[in-house]
Amino acid sequence: MTMSESERWLLVDSIAGQVISVGEYRQKIGDVLGELTIKPLTGIPVAFAVLYAFWSVFGSFAGSLFTDGFFVKFFDNYFLPWIQSAWPDPASIHYFLFVGDPLATNSFEAFGVLTSGLFVAIGVVLPAVFIFYLMMSLLEDSGYLPRLAVLVDTVLHKIGLHGYAIVPTILGLGCNVPAVTATRILETKKQRFMMMTLIAIFIPCGAQLGIMMEVLPESVGYVMLFLITGYFVFGYILSKIVPGENPEILIDVPPYHMPQWSNLSKKLIVRTKGFLFNAVPFVLFGILLVNLLYLGGVIQWLSELLAPVFVTWFGVPKETAGALVAAFLRKDLAVAQLSNIAMTQYQMISSVVLISIYFPCVATFVVMLKEGWKELLAAVGVLFAVAFVYGGIIHAIGILLGLA
Amino acid sequence: MSDTKYKLYTVYFGVIGILATLLGLADILVQLGISGGIESGIMQISGDDFFRWAWGGLVVLFGGILILSGCRDIKDMHQFSKVLLGSVMVWIIAGCDIFAMICESIPAPADAPGFLNSFAGFTGGFAPPYAPAVILLPFTFAALLMYYTEGYAKED
Repeated sequence: MTMSESERWLLVDSIAGQVISVGEYRQKIGDVLGELTIKPLTGIPVAFAVLYAFWSVFGSFAGSLFTDGFFVKFFDNYFLPWIQSAWPDPASIHYFLFVGDPLATNSFEAFGVLTSGLFVAIGVVLPAVFIFYLMMSLLEDSGYLPRLAVLVDTVLHKIGLHGYAIVPTILGLGCNVPAVTATRILETKKQRFMMMTLIAIFIPCGAQLGIMMEVLPESVGYVMLFLITGYFVFGYILSKIVPGENPEILIDVPPYHMPQWSNLSKKLIVRTKGFLFNAVPFVLFGILLVNLLYLGGVIQWLSELLAPVFVTWFGVPKETAGALVAAFLRKDLAVAQLSNIAMTQYQMISSVVLISIYFPCVATFVVMLKEGWKELLAAVGVLFAVAFVYGGIIHAIGILLGLA
Repeated sequence: MSDTKYKLYTVYFGVIGILATLLGLADILVQLGISGGIESGIMQISGDDFFRWAWGGLVVLFGGILILSGCRDIKDMHQFSKVLLGSVMVWIIAGCDIFAMICESIPAPADAPGFLNSFAGFTGGFAPPYAPAVILLPFTFAALLMYYTEGYAKED
């Protein structure tokens, strides 16, 4: 059957009349609040408040309540003395691998698979990851995250990205693995490559943050300052040298709404389960491998080989080489390992920044490989160059300030 | 009568806004080392934690400024929204302080044998002195009262 043009328009009118209802829009207070959180003058202070709450709750829940309140006591006062006395033959290799130092008085310094490994994975990282994902899901489900994307759009445009790049960036603060996957929300190859590289270099994961708060609680701010500065400076440089486009986007901002507990709990379970299955084996295996490398003399050999670079260029003790080897397996484990090396506060800050920027952990590495081997090779090239240059700059800043 | 009610709200939130601004500023100044710390009655600004006093103080300061900018002509929904948002910012800081008190009070002290604190130890964790945001908290609930009595809650 063929319809004339006028008949088609009549049909369009008839369908439109049935499905479209026209009413008067009346602004509600929720709409006004939504607008206020997007306008820079009022939105930026609100963003300050939200991020304050994010990190304050993170520190209180993971640090004060679970790690310091329960797990430190459990592992140091009960589990460590028990396993040190129950495991046979303290002079044996298996004791060194699984229990670690027989004279250690805390689980951090014992460095055995079943002492430091379980303490780091369960006592420090699990509460940190749990509360991080809870807060992240709250921001997502309440509708605040798209508003944050609008707010930071102008700033992120300066480094060739757009507002939605804040999503993988914040996700990366939980775990770099889903963050690298989330870079697919960006439009062009250039943006995806830049985002993936910046995440791998400058975004410490929740596990690493948890350990940082345990190892150097008073200096986490300085580490973050170096990382945020590096994110923007090297992001700007990358946006200038990487060929490709930075297109504009339109962001759909949903109204604020109360998050539903059923959705929150589902997200929380899936993400925390993901951590338990993916990260915990790497932590345990990481300690085992580092201990084996110590036994085989590989770490000592690496320390001697890299000593000129570490001591002269980066201004950190040569023993940091061992932690950098562990960083490829798990960065949180590497930061934990630093607590056993004698160094000044500035050297500790430099070492933690170096561990963050030098190489992605093996899980992130695998996900980056899935995004394309050419991109991975380019990202690895960039991150070695950045680690070398930025590590030297941080040392130079320390010398200028009289701290290094 | 109705205009008198709004004038009262204006004066009330004007005072709260000034207090929040001054106390937020005091948080930051103490952290910057201008003073070694302020303790007055049940209020304390110790300034020994950059994150809590500089960043948190900045949020209280912004909250106070928002409340001040919205308290004039508060009958207007746009103006009231600023008061409400400023109050929410004070709630965030106070809420985080209270949450920190709860988290620190649940476990037993490090040298105690058990894992959970005693009831007396738990309640003792909430004893004064308090940070300025916690003291401001009950007074900013007036914004919530206005939100419900003016019918904004029904519309939302």
